[in-house]
Amino acid sequence: MDTYHWLLTLHVTAAFLFVGGSVAAGVLNALAVRAERPSETAALLKLVRKTLPLIFIGVGGTFVFGLWLWHQAHYGIGTAWLWISLVLWAVANALGGIGGQHQEHARKLAEKLAAEGDTPNDELNRILADRKGNAVSWAAGLATLAILALMIGKP
Amino acid sequence: MIAYTGPFWPLFLHVLGAMVLFGAVLAALIAIAAGHRAAGFKALLIAVPAWVLMRGGAEWTYSHGYSAVKDQTWLKLGMNVADGGLIVLLLALGAAYWSQRTSNPRASRTAAALCAVYLALLAVAWLAMTGKWG
Repeated sequence: MDTYHWLLTLHVTAAFLFVGGSVAAGVLNALAVRAERPSETAALLKLVRKTLPLIFIGVGGTFVFGLWLWHQAHYGIGTAWLWISLVLWAVANALGGIGGQHQEHARKLAEKLAAEGDTPNDELNRILADRKGNAVSWAAGLATLAILALMIGKP
Repeated sequence: MIAYTGPFWPLFLHVLGAMVLFGAVLAALIAIAAGHRAAGFKALLIAVPAWVLMRGGAEWTYSHGYSAVKDQTWLKLGMNVADGGLIVLLLALGAAYWSQRTSNPRASRTAAALCAVYLALLAVAWLAMTGKWG
């Protein structure tokens, strides 16, 4: 393989870890929201943490190998879709971080409730169903989807 | 992906399906390995429509001029993983269902092992298809 294909392979691998890890975190979060007991919710939200190393490697890898590919593939400094992708990458990470804080808040409350009798609780349900908190995570997902669309469409 | 010059939607749906498939199977592996059998089974259920999206997108992409390179290793490997991998995915789904119904540790281990094998197969496929092996 030549340098270009090596870089492309590493960039796409990082993208799989970034998007796949985010999907895994989203699936575990969705299952936690639907769990009946706080102990289940807490356990599933705790599992989301296991996806974080993959997501972090993916985030770093897409950035580093993406910039390297930009240079290697001789795209100009003013290539709009690459700049838009970079902005969306930053937005997705910022929103993902905020969504993660919301999940952590829910996990801590679920763990507390699990230790105090493990019965369904309105406050936990309200936090899990919070539109603002969930909207941030969905927005992060949409930004990631838009990056994928830009990478393939190259408008 | 940067080198791809065909129509947008086929490849977009193929790659999106593959990434969601990878994520759903990863979530299933994490859940089953941690003893959450029902969550693992539900995560694998999400992997099935993702496989359909990935495979449908692959066929649609293939119909846009890829028949000329059908003997290339990367394309054959990708197709074999897509089609053969479905058997592994369905076996994992069956083992996960068995696991959540019976709480049998052997069923859980089988489901987790099949998920791990499938993730490895998917990784080989994306490496081959991106690096254009052969």
